Amino acid sequence: MRRNRVGWLLLSPTLIILFLVGIVPFIYVLYVGFFEWNLFSSDRAMNFVGVNNYRRLVFDERFLDALWVTIRFTFFAVISQLVIGFFLAQSLLKNFPGKVLFRIVHTLPLMIAPISIGAIWRLLTIPGFGPIPFLLQNWFNIDYNIGRNADQAFLTIILMDIWHWTPFVTLTLLAGLSALPAEPREAAMVDGANSWQIFRYVTLPLMRPIILTVLFIRIMDALRTVDEINMLSNGGGPGTATRTLGIHIFRVVFPQTDYGYGSAMSLLTLYFTIVICWLLFVSLTQLRGSRGNDGGER
Amino acid sequence: MRRTRQIIDYALTYGLWIVVAAITLLPVWWMIVVSARSRVELFNAPDLIIRSFYVQNYTDVINNRTFQGYMINSIIISTANAVLVTVLALMATYALSRYKLVGSDNIFFTTLTQRMAPPAAFLLPLFLLFTQLFAVGEGRSRWDLYDSHLGLILLYCVFNLPFAIWLLKGIIDAIPPELDEAAFVDGANTFHVITRIILPLAAPGLAVTLILSWIFAWNEYLFAATLTAFEARTITTGLAEFVTVTGTNWGAMAAVSTLTLIPSVIVVIFAQRYIIAGLTFGAVKD
Amino acid sequence: MKLRNAFPLLVFVLVALLSVSLAAAQDIPEGIDAAWWSNAAQPYAGTTLRGVSESTPPSNYVRDVLAPMFTAMTGINVELETTSWDQMYDKAIRDMEAGTGIYDFVYIEQDIIYGYLANNYLVNLTEALADMPELAAPGFSFDDFTTFIDYFKDAEGNVFGIPMEAFIKVYLYRTDLFNDPDIAAAFEAEYGYPLAPATTHEQYRQIAEFFTQYAAANGMQMWGTTVQAVSGHPASFYEFFESVVPTFGVYNWGINMENWKATVENGGAMNSDAAKAALEWWVGNLTFAPPEATSSTWDEVAASFAAGRAAQGLVYGENAAWIATDPTRSQVVGSVGVALPPLAEGVLEAAEAGEGYIGYYDGGAFGLPVSSRNMEAALLWLQFVGLPEIQADWAAAASRIVMDSTYDTPQVMAADEATNGYYTLMREQGYLFAGAPPFPFHPQLREVVAPFIYEAIAGTLSPAEALDRAAAAADAELARLGYGS
Repeated sequence: MRRNRVGWLLLSPTLIILFLVGIVPFIYVLYVGFFEWNLFSSDRAMNFVGVNNYRRLVFDERFLDALWVTIRFTFFAVISQLVIGFFLAQSLLKNFPGKVLFRIVHTLPLMIAPISIGAIWRLLTIPGFGPIPFLLQNWFNIDYNIGRNADQAFLTIILMDIWHWTPFVTLTLLAGLSALPAEPREAAMVDGANSWQIFRYVTLPLMRPIILTVLFIRIMDALRTVDEINMLSNGGGPGTATRTLGIHIFRVVFPQTDYGYGSAMSLLTLYFTIVICWLLFVSLTQLRGSRGNDGGER
Repeated sequence: MRRTRQIIDYALTYGLWIVVAAITLLPVWWMIVVSARSRVELFNAPDLIIRSFYVQNYTDVINNRTFQGYMINSIIISTANAVLVTVLALMATYALSRYKLVGSDNIFFTTLTQRMAPPAAFLLPLFLLFTQLFAVGEGRSRWDLYDSHLGLILLYCVFNLPFAIWLLKGIIDAIPPELDEAAFVDGANTFHVITRIILPLAAPGLAVTLILSWIFAWNEYLFAATLTAFEARTITTGLAEFVTVTGTNWGAMAAVSTLTLIPSVIVVIFAQRYIIAGLTFGAVKD
Repeated sequence: MKLRNAFPLLVFVLVALLSVSLAAAQDIPEGIDAAWWSNAAQPYAGTTLRGVSESTPPSNYVRDVLAPMFTAMTGINVELETTSWDQMYDKAIRDMEAGTGIYDFVYIEQDIIYGYLANNYLVNLTEALADMPELAAPGFSFDDFTTFIDYFKDAEGNVFGIPMEAFIKVYLYRTDLFNDPDIAAAFEAEYGYPLAPATTHEQYRQIAEFFTQYAAANGMQMWGTTVQAVSGHPASFYEFFESVVPTFGVYNWGINMENWKATVENGGAMNSDAAKAALEWWVGNLTFAPPEATSSTWDEVAASFAAGRAAQGLVYGENAAWIATDPTRSQVVGSVGVALPPLAEGVLEAAEAGEGYIGYYDGGAFGLPVSSRNMEAALLWLQFVGLPEIQADWAAAASRIVMDSTYDTPQVMAADEATNGYYTLMREQGYLFAGAPPFPFHPQLREVVAPFIYEAIAGTLSPAEALDRAAAAADAELARLGYGS
């Protein structure tokens, strides 16, 4: 018992900070979500509306639209990052001169502020002097204008996210791959398995926990991306093609000062994110448990 | 035969990585190209070679007192936050790893949910909290967390701590508990065990925690923009101001962006080894 | 040709030199009773006033020139946080709503004043000066301002904001192209009437078409017109509802001010035929606009025009001066003409009779939040910003005018010449333009309607469909906000 008290003592600063700066605001948002409250409504009052805000959300086309954009964005971006990242991590397992340099270069985007990333990509794609529209026009005669063409804009935010986050996937998977025991692969090779079979039946199952971890982190962060998309597309355009939930909620809460509805929207989004992440988290801990846990329970 | 295959293999790998490096670097290079252009040259045809360098974009920014202040604020906030997060995470992870605490699994997931929330809606409660609740004094001598370094340092803990704990959990789990037991038998207290046994063994992981927390704090924009006004504004808010405000002054914006990038590049080059070593998240143990 | 190009340059250099030397020396302009100021400010010397504003040329002038001048005279420090347009509102509103007292003065754009007044955020300046006569500065008078100050008054005529910038959104065109005899001849041959700044929408479109084809044929990177059509940013909403729809005779965003309704069925005009024709015309102009038009906010429109990428366009007047005179930023120095925007039939007559308006009269003021902790010192500062003596250089540096007397100063007369009459146009015909309608729910309604305009620009909705849905959404939102339900 005495020792447990020490445990709680060690944990307490973390818990206190998380409570004060994390949980308290959360409770406030939860509370406000049950009110209709807009600073510039005619009575300016906080009117209790129960779950009406949530009911309204289910039929709110703009919200559903933003949700759909966010889901598509997250799906395509994360899947591409995983595939490309795995491929690159595999190639980094080999030894070749200059590997470290390539790896350093590859890590660079991870270190750049999201808002800078948005700015960099805006400079690349801005019609009039960006090189991408210029080159596409001159080489392939493609009219590329992300201020105008919704599909191109959507594709561009995915490419930007891939550019930004693939290095994270590569490095994490590389760390996992290098830590894999060599014996199963060698045994499979002795049994005459080809490289695809080794990948499919040996490497992939062994890598499952780390792949799930990467997925977990990437999905969690992709669902709440705001800064770089907002900067690139000037607020989610053209139309609403790149208006993700993060941007939409920002506009509802701030310029529109619709605090009650915006809070409900945030909570529903958070709930939705938690469900996805919880599923991944559970499958992750179960996988880990089945692999013989030796550290956790003491 | 085997030799030719190896050469082809090499060529393919090199080809792949040259393409990857080019894709990674070109956008950044283009930013530097734009940062070298004056306003009237902006709409010139895209040209990857810098023919003349409009230094004023940089000197204007560097000599700007406001900008210097932003830079200093960013350094203070991200460094203090990274240190705080690493220390707290080490303590917390040790507790989670070595003690049987009721509900510790849930604590872990709950801390993670902080990172999942869409940020916008939480800005209002945080603003109220920072200005009304965490305030001492009245009138002119009033002090509150709003627009203070401490406010952002604490706030970034909410995002960095869960990640840090997650990162360290596997590493500390992997340190054999027999080591601490032996130390306890020798009469060491918990503080000694953490600083003398865990700390050296977990050093690479702690380094990663420090670096990643530092980078997150350095790069964060939305909260910094909302919860500061004069005293604690950071470099990313300065960057956003350059874009939205001067609208078309892309050269100056690119210059600020390039300057913001420099510390990160230094970090990547020098801490590369640790970053890779630490990114295992404890998912793979051997 | 050469001389005409050199003249504005000369004027610009003179004006620049003049303002630079003033800024450097921080001389207090003649006519200001420095002794009174330092005396009145004595109890407050050493305090620091904090304000928030959008980082625009007028605000930057306040921060860089006026604030140090005021501090030198009074010992009161002034810090101005210049931030982005969005952030400025968020921060000011949050501060005033929570009563935190972070800001001692805030920038009030004309369109948000009604919301601030409805929420009692601001100090009644008329009353405050009457209550504290010892703070009423000599030489300051609300009567010096143009009628623009009326926007910042309540029903009883009390003033809540000191105007600090005002300008109109005008029709800019390239004089070098319009006055070129070969081009004029080619135009007349094709369209059957002489080339001149358009007075109707049809002419405007034909001129845009002509110059787009002309530029393509001559290998120029130029198009017929600018369009402030960033799809995703409120700038496009504003160009359409404040500068385009009124020229088709639809006012106040098509909201019926009697019952707060937008749809035609309920007595509004947001989806009226005229409004639909306006959106159709405006979106149609994109065909003849540079590719960056759909990414252009107010700043980028000015930049496109300054880069010589458009033959004509609607441009905010705050940019007119630098486009016409600043060779470090503009490639069309000396070739900028100003005119009234093209209009539908009857709109000009209605505006002249005071029953409508032909475009946007933009601007803002500094106000004093009720939550300020340094009200007296801030009151002094606001009066200082409203002194006639400091207006002329400020006007020349940032093309904003809030007092009639400023028009007659040498600085502004020189700038007027350089812009081929922008200031004269503003002085003589400014009354035809109007600020935003008196909505206390301005940003709320804008956020609901704007996405439909974005979709019309992106082409995912037809103009007619976009406005039908926008109007329905506006009706629903206004009812939810408790207006006219």
